[in-house]
Amino acid sequence: MTSYAQARGLPVVTLGDAREIGELTSLALDAVAGRLTHVLVSGRGRKETAVAWDALHAVGPDAVLVEPDFRPESVPPGPRHEALGSRVLSEDGAEHGAVQDLVFDPSTGRIETVVTTLGEVRGDRLLGLGDFALVVRAD
Amino acid sequence: MNELMGARELCGRPVVTLGGDAVAQLRDTVFDGPAGRVTGFTLSGRGLLAGPLRKSLPWAAVHALGRDAVMIRGQEVLVEPSAVVARKEAAHGQVLGARVLTDAGTEIGVVLDVVVEGGRSGRVVGFRINARQSLVMGSRRRRRKVFVPRGETLAVSGRALVVPADAVRFVADDLAGFAARVEAFRARGGAAPDGLEKGPSA
Repeated sequence: MTSYAQARGLPVVTLGDAREIGELTSLALDAVAGRLTHVLVSGRGRKETAVAWDALHAVGPDAVLVEPDFRPESVPPGPRHEALGSRVLSEDGAEHGAVQDLVFDPSTGRIETVVTTLGEVRGDRLLGLGDFALVVRAD
Repeated sequence: MNELMGARELCGRPVVTLGGDAVAQLRDTVFDGPAGRVTGFTLSGRGLLAGPLRKSLPWAAVHALGRDAVMIRGQEVLVEPSAVVARKEAAHGQVLGARVLTDAGTEIGVVLDVVVEGGRSGRVVGFRINARQSLVMGSRRRRRKVFVPRGETLAVSGRALVVPADAVRFVADDLAGFAARVEAFRARGGAAPDGLEKGPSA
């Protein structure tokens, strides 16, 4: 297991030629699917790009390695995908603090646990992430 | 029983989809007085300066009425205001400020707020009233704000509403204590609720 807090700031390096393409700035979450979909990378003086989870070779303690043939994508448009700092609302309309960290399986991107300011929420309870809140199933 | 809330405190509560987007905020609560439930809500846009929204939220589309937000499945459940507002004048406008009479003919106070049950029920469980002294035996204050449960049938006509006479034995000082009093009131044994056969006069 890895967490968002541990992964943030890691160098992102290509597997083939050990080229550093930048630093991991954030992780894109698909709350409905309960998994991370992209790693967002910003290089020096370059625009933020997204690397799809399938193109990752490993998320290690000291670096993120991407497959040599990866294709940088533009940052996924549309629905909000940054979970960190988001308010947490249960589906019954009660607040449960804010998101502090996400614990995930690095090979699949599946969310194991959402760490909130008021405790932990299992990853299979995620319902949606929008401009107002991360909504979780009532337990 | 789910958490109880005063309808007046609902104003401004955000309307949030299960996808996490805030799409509106509550403006006014619309009641079906005779049925004793919430019909729906009128809405305003998000933010301090936002005006009325040309959409409303029927109760049937509410996923849950919560302490911090009203949850809906998605923005598509919002409807034209006319679907909810048609009853507004008939119900909400006349409940606040209405005199509360018991079915024995005693006036016990004036309605300050309507208490609804959160979650999915949308039930009106009682009223916050400015109580007359006769209700509060031994109190030295002339008037006092208390919560009183409503009867099974709720007659709202003109400027008054009628509650069962024994409802005054189940008043509470705050919302936290009110939930238990409402349960006790409902569980009280014996007689069928007054007015059930007769029904409210038209």
